[in-house]
Amino acid sequence: MKNSTMLISIGIMILLVGGFIFFNSEADKTTSNTIKTEEAQKITLGIKNYNYYPNTITLKVDQPVELTLDESVSGCFRSFTVKALGIQKYSKSPEEKIEFTPTQKGTFAFACSMGMGYGKLIVE
Amino acid sequence: MTFKQFIKELGGERVEGELVKTIFYSLLTSFIFLEALYFFKLKNLEGFIPKYGFYLFFAALSYATITPAIRQVRSYSQGLACMPGMMIGMTIGMLAGFLSGFYVAATNGMFVGSIFGMSVGILLGVWSGKCCGVMGVMEGIMAGFMGGLMGPMTAFMLLNDNIKAIAIIVFVISTITISGLNYMIYKETKETKREKKEDHFFTIVLTFILIAITTWLIVYGPRSAIFQ
Repeated sequence: MKNSTMLISIGIMILLVGGFIFFNSEADKTTSNTIKTEEAQKITLGIKNYNYYPNTITLKVDQPVELTLDESVSGCFRSFTVKALGIQKYSKSPEEKIEFTPTQKGTFAFACSMGMGYGKLIVE
Repeated sequence: MTFKQFIKELGGERVEGELVKTIFYSLLTSFIFLEALYFFKLKNLEGFIPKYGFYLFFAALSYATITPAIRQVRSYSQGLACMPGMMIGMTIGMLAGFLSGFYVAATNGMFVGSIFGMSVGILLGVWSGKCCGVMGVMEGIMAGFMGGLMGPMTAFMLLNDNIKAIAIIVFVISTITISGLNYMIYKETKETKREKKEDHFFTIVLTFILIAITTWLIVYGPRSAIFQ
């Protein structure tokens, strides 16, 4: 086979496989970031033993959450993320609340943006 | 002038003329393996493509850029001096460690990613660097070790911040670097006669081993607490 034929074959292979992966990679959209009129579940996270405390949080499904990172939380720990739910928010101060509504039951990992601190959200 | 000659040689009779063919065989091996595995087993795994598809795809592309350089080095193993040997050990060790570790760490965490990245980086770095004496071997060990740690660290720190975009950027930069290495080897050996003429069995076996271990680790391997 000539080099040009090889290059075309390589391009086609990459396009086919890459396209297949791209069109099947829809991210889960399981939350909305708007607070509903229902009463919010209020959670406050601090730092203990170089990790979030508490690091296991149980929440109710379809009920808004208002999460506060208290004064003890600093650095990258203030950037709170739940990758599976598409939540990523930097809270400059405890007054800046992180609001979201879990719309799917399950256990989801939460972490700071660099993965240094982590824990679990259990949505029931 | 030499670069133009190198481009011309990509269609020639030397090993450089087989670089594109090596990429083709490596990609074909990886894609056939992944497709077969997907249709017979992994299709039933919930969220397989959204979770792991992207990283496995880029792992396949990365191995397809690394294997031609290793094949090229093997063809001129005795005709290279210490200095190019260091560059070979360093480039292959660093990129093999960085890329493989990056993809595994993005799905399994930094510990597993580092172990895999360091193993692949050091192994391929030493294997390629040994063509040119102890300096190449030393560079292979050091670069494999560094790349194997740096790749997973980068992936882990960017987990929540556009990791897929950075994976593409890292891959593009690595491909340019590997192309530079291909050119350097050509430049250093253009007066040398090819020592080893081998078929593509080596490429297929090496790619198969790398993609099989990567797939197993990404899909079934141990994970850090953050991924559980």
